[in-house]
Formats: sequence, C-alpha cells, structure tokens
Amino acid sequence: MAKVIEVEHLYKSYPMAIGDPYPVLKDVNFSIEEGEFVAIMGPSGSGKSTLMNTLGCLDTPTSGVYKIGGEVVSGMNEDQLANVRSEKIGFVFQGFNLLMKRTLLDNVSIPLIYAGYGLDEQHKKAEEMLSHVGLQNFVERFPSQISGGMQQRVAIARALVNNPKLILADEPTGNLDTKTSVEIMNLFQKLNEDGKTIVLVTHEPDIADFAKRLIYIVDGVVHYDGPVSEFKGKR
Amino acid sequence: MEKNVEIIDQKIHMSRAVFRESWISIKSNKLRSFLTTLGIIIGVCAVVIMVAAGQTVQNMINDSFEGMGSNLLLVRPEFVATSGVKSGGQSVVKTGDADVIKKLKYIKAVSPIVNGTAQIIYGNENYMASIVASTPDYLYTGKWEIERGEGLSDRDVKSAQAYILIGKTIESNLFPSGESAIGKTVRVSNIPFIVKGVLKAKGQGMGGVDRDETVIMPVTTYRRRIRGSYIPNRVNYIMAQVDSDKNINKAKRYIENALRESRRLKPGAENDFRVDDMTEMVETVKSVGTYISILLASIASISLIVGSIGIMNMMLVSVTERTREIGIRKAIGAKNSYILYQFLLEAILISFIGSMVGMVLGIGISQVVGVILEKSVPISMLTVVISFSVAIIVGIASGIFPAIKATKLDPIEALRYQ
Ligand SMILES: Nc1ncnc2c1ncn2[C@@H]1O[C@H](COP(=O)(O)OP(=O)(O)OP(=O)(O)O)[C@@H](O)[C@H]1O
Ligand SMILES: [Mg+2]
Repeated sequence: MAKVIEVEHLYKSYPMAIGDPYPVLKDVNFSIEEGEFVAIMGPSGSGKSTLMNTLGCLDTPTSGVYKIGGEVVSGMNEDQLANVRSEKIGFVFQGFNLLMKRTLLDNVSIPLIYAGYGLDEQHKKAEEMLSHVGLQNFVERFPSQISGGMQQRVAIARALVNNPKLILADEPTGNLDTKTSVEIMNLFQKLNEDGKTIVLVTHEPDIADFAKRLIYIVDGVVHYDGPVSEFKGKR
Repeated sequence: MEKNVEIIDQKIHMSRAVFRESWISIKSNKLRSFLTTLGIIIGVCAVVIMVAAGQTVQNMINDSFEGMGSNLLLVRPEFVATSGVKSGGQSVVKTGDADVIKKLKYIKAVSPIVNGTAQIIYGNENYMASIVASTPDYLYTGKWEIERGEGLSDRDVKSAQAYILIGKTIESNLFPSGESAIGKTVRVSNIPFIVKGVLKAKGQGMGGVDRDETVIMPVTTYRRRIRGSYIPNRVNYIMAQVDSDKNINKAKRYIENALRESRRLKPGAENDFRVDDMTEMVETVKSVGTYISILLASIASISLIVGSIGIMNMMLVSVTERTREIGIRKAIGAKNSYILYQFLLEAILISFIGSMVGMVLGIGISQVVGVILEKSVPISMLTVVISFSVAIIVGIASGIFPAIKATKLDPIEALRYQ
C-alpha cells in the first residue's frame, strides 16, 4: 500500500521572546498508509495540534522531512503549501470554522473556488457532498440556523468536497455532546471504509476507539504507536 | 496545449469566483458598505460639479470674447510723468491718431472709440442704450454685422451725420409692435437721429451684459451733439485690426513708431500711449478661467481624499474583523494572491460604485443648476475620465494596504482569533 504520510526526524520549536527556542516536537517519526484511520492522543500541551498543523501544511517544521504521497512538503513555499492544502488535504476543526454569513452551500463550495472550478460545478459538487453527510435539505441555511453536530457535518463536507487523499481532524468532537460525537465518528468511520485516510486528534479514549491505530504523544515525543486495542497507557 | 487551456479556464473561473466573493461580502454588510460608498459619492460628485462650474465660467469668458474681431491691437493713453516737467498734462489718444494708424502697413481696419450711455426714445418707448461712437471700421473691429439697412459711411463720419445703427434689443424695445426701425427718427439724449441699420444679434457678453443694447454712431456726431470733450477729438481708445496674426508684432512696432513721430516724442522719452495685443490679453483672461477650474477641482478633491481614507479605514476594520475568515480560507487552500485580490477588489468595487453614482449625481445636479440659472453647463469628457480614474486609483490606493495586511496573516493565528 502507498504511504500517504511520511514523517522523518520532525522537530518543531517556537522562538521565545527571551532565551532559547521552545521545543514542542522532538524527533517525531512515523508513516501512515493509504486507508488508515489513526487517532493521536496525549496530554494537553504535548504538541498534538502542532503536529496536526504541520501535517496539514498550515505550519512548517523547524527541521526534518515531511512527505505527502511521496512528495516532500517540508521546504515548500507558501503558494506551494496552499496548493497542497487545496488538493490533498481536508481539514476539520474543533470549532467547525464555517463562514457564518454564508449559506451551507457556499461554505462547502469555497474550497472548489481555489481549486479552480466554475460556479455551477462548485454548487453541484457541494450539493452532492452535503447530501452525502445527510444535509441535502439545508443547503440554503446559514450555519447559525443549524445545530453544532450539523455544523461539523458541513465542515466535513467542506473537507471532502475536493476529494482529498487525507482528512485531518483536530478534536472534531471537542465541542459536541456524546450522542452527536458518536454520530460524527460514525461518519468518519464510514468515510474510512470508503477508502479515505483519516488522522484525528482526541482527548477521549471512546472516540479514539473508532480508529484502528493510535499514536500517543507525551511532551513532543511519540510514546506509543500501534493498534488502538493494544494501548495500555493512560486510560 | 490542452493543459494551458485548462489553466486559463481555471484562472477565469477563479477571477469570477473571487469577484463574487468580494461582491457578496459587500452586500452582506450593506449599511457599512453604503456609508463608505457615500464618502466617494460625495467626493466625486463635488469634483464633477466643480469641474462643470469651472468649465461654465470658462465658457462664459470665452463666449464674451466671441463678439470681438480677431488680430486686434488696442491703443490706449498712458500717463507719463517725465522727470521734472509734466509733458503737457494729460496723455490722450485722438481721432487723428486713428488716421495715422490707418495709413500703416498690415492694418486692415481702425476704429477710434468713445463709449457712453444715453437714453434712446421713440414715441412712448424709451431704453437706456450703451453708445459706441466710432467709424465705419468698427463693424470689423467689433465684429458686427448688419441685419437690415446699411452701415455708416466715411462721409457720415466726416460730416457728423445724425445716423445710428441699433442692436436688436433696442429695436424690440422701441418698436414693440414689430415694425422695422429702419428710417425712423428716434431721439438719443433728446437729439433726433435716423436709424440707418439694425445689427445682427450677438447675445450676452462678459458678466451677462446684453450686447444687443448697443447703439453705434459716428464719433464726430457724438462729440459734437451728445457729449463734447474739452480736448478736441479725444477718444477712449483705438482698436486696430491687423491683416494676419503673423504681422501683429510688426504692426505693433509700426504703430508705436508712427505715433511717436506724429506726437513728436524725443528719442529716449517714454511713450505716452500703449499698444496691447488683445489676443494676448484675452488669452491671459482665459487662462484665469482655467486656473479657476483647476482650483475648484482641487478643493473638491480634498473630499475625495477623505472618502478614500474612509474606504481604507473600513477595509482595515474589515480585515481585522474577518481575521478568522481569512484563516479559514487559507486553511482550505486559498493562496495569498486570492486573499489579496478579494480584499483589493472589495475596495475597488466600493470606489467604483461610489464614483459612478457620484458622477451621475454630479452631472445631474450641475445640469439642474444650469437650467435654474439659465446657463448651459457642459457635460465634459474630462468628468467621465476623472470619475473612472478615481474609481480605480482610489480603490487601489485605499485597498492595497489592508489587502496586503490580510495576506500577511498567519493561518494558525488567524484561526485562533475570536
Ligand atoms: N505559536 C506558539 N508559540 C509558542 N508556543 C506555542 C505556540 N503554539 C503552541 N505553543 C506551545 O506548544 C506546546 C504544544 O501546543 P499544542 O497546541 O500543540 O498542544 P496540544 O497537544 O494540542 O494541547 P491541547 O490538548 O491543549 O490542545 C504548548 O506548550 C504551547 O504552549
Ligand atoms: Mg490542541
């Protein structure tokens, strides 16, 4: 199977106002194959979001090599990174991050603007995606007019609409109640069964159980990397 | 090849989409967009009105010189205080000077002129006329034409005949029933005169005076019958028409030399008269009109600058308010250039709409004012050019800085922004 993600000797440190840079990720190594469903866990402040931002090409590593689908991404310029985000990655955030003044249809269409689709095609694909997540009856609504669970579905539809290889989700259920969280996780599971590679960060073991593989990070170092079922750490 | 077509297609799609995004964001903030646009509307409107006002003034100035012959030299007295003794008191020009000038090379027409006003009466009707006492040549130097009857002759001047030529306004006021004035005896300052000709209408002159209130009579008759002068044959000034504009300077020198000789001025003595090129004087006055236009437009453009600062202010607020939106857009694949275009386009759209509305409003207002004041106000190409340039320049100038600020936002920070 082809590798979607390869991370080799990844370091990330933030410059401090005084003194040495503050290291957050320290020599992280792993790779993820196409079709995997990976949960990333770890204590607060351990560097999960930093790792996700790097994987999502929103941030660049201080050193080390990061490849998506065999292509070296670390060292790309801003425009190239924007292209990678547009073509290969779908991002789902904890806070949904929808444009509140735009309809659901427009929200899901926006990634297609940057992918260069015409308006008709944008709307056709966005509508398809919204029905895929069960929101075909809400296309002309605004985010404020639907529930949090539905908003997260819109965000997932938006992440999927340009057919990326990789779905990254940073605590996608963090703002949702248990019942809605399960619904969202079922959706992720279904997407994974359809062949999408999914990497998500979570604090909750119950959520991580939906995944197949777990990467556990403590203080910027990978402590465990293996099947979810065999993890005997902080549970 | 096919790949290129595809890329061009994508670019077109993207520019359309970015345009749509800008437009939607303007629409979704109606009040703020409207208030911002208002600044530009007022600015452009003011500039358009001021340009129209300036051009109207300029046209009025130009029109008032319309009724003047071309290639004119103006000979006027100049007071000179010679060292010690005053040279015979006042300096004057006289009809005799006109005779001297008339003989010179390059001179086509010469008219000594005395101006005055006098009551003109026919039957029960009377009118205050402005009198020009001159010679037959005045028809050329003053650019008059005879509509009916005939002009004055040299003999009329020589023998001081009581003949007059009258303007249209005089005729219509003295003869309200519409009968012709030709051959009728009218009284000017209580002296009977025979109307020899009626002048073609000229309309308004400088300062809105009616040039058809003019009465033309022989200068000799005026001096003998209406108002004498204790210096015989004294006139106000002499107008000399040169045959071609190439010869104006030569003719001017000839006149100066000839008059110095006839006045027996010693070498080195200053001229007690002056010869001015009317065309030059007219150009000077006309250029004042241009300066007035530029001044008015510059004052008005201050409000444009204020309007453009308004756009910049709104865009800066907008960029800060929409930090999160910018983060989201970047996270889902927007390049910096698209963010730049979107915000720049927003500013340009606002200034474009403002300029166009301001232009239409400004043209409308100046036309309405023109109708009220009974002046024809030009709609100039300049106004349209200014409006379009303002639309683009103000849009870019006020939008570029906020737009660059938007592209500089770090997506992670921007997403964290509440
Ligand atoms: N821009 C930054 N500048 C400096 N330090 C930062 C920056 N971003 C994150 N950090 C630090 O890096 C460390 C890791 O942060 P990160 O957000 O990756 O943790 P996390 O594992 O996602 O935590 P949580 O579970 O609370 O979301 C933290 O100590 C944080 O303070
Ligand atoms: Mg985090």
